[in-house]
Amino acid sequence: MNGKNKSYWKYIFGIAMIILGGLLTYFNIGKEFLGFLTTGYFLFYVGVITIFIATLQIVKEDKKIVDERMEFVAAKASRIAFMAILLFAFVIVIIDSMESINIRGTYLMTYLICGTVLVYFVSYKLLLKVN
Amino acid sequence: MKNNIAELRDKCNMTQQALADKVYVTRQTILSLEYGRYNPSLELAYRITKALKQKHIENVFQLKTIAL
Repeated sequence: MNGKNKSYWKYIFGIAMIILGGLLTYFNIGKEFLGFLTTGYFLFYVGVITIFIATLQIVKEDKKIVDERMEFVAAKASRIAFMAILLFAFVIVIIDSMESINIRGTYLMTYLICGTVLVYFVSYKLLLKVN
Repeated sequence: MKNNIAELRDKCNMTQQALADKVYVTRQTILSLEYGRYNPSLELAYRITKALKQKHIENVFQLKTIAL
């Protein structure tokens, strides 16, 4: 995916968030969320920021090389992150069997995703040094 | 695989960055190749061979013999 294609997707995502935010606000759906009055306002903010960042990146024209070695390392790191998801799920099941985990499903998902992203990031950096 | 990229690069008076720019990879990739930590794809191997002004890919990259 070249730089221009990535920018189109960012703009599409940004516009989609703005439209969704507008719709949610218009139909009064959603409640107070992360300091924003409603979920709609938050999505609108996300859309604006995405478009702003995409525009900045185009203006800056930072040429980043992503070569085959980096793609190879990224693939390895993805496999490690996938294994981490399986391991986290197993650990959660074991812990839950010992002592019931009382946490909202959405928070559990968030922690799982953040943990996976962290594992991916760390394994990518380490593998880049080793390879 | 083993290679003699470093020697051939020295012969051509080329820095790692210059070679990296010629074959459209990062300097770290050239470093990894020279240290034998990474094996290039066929396409990259051919691009490096051409950049180092060699006629044959075997002049640059050789298969390590494994004792069976």
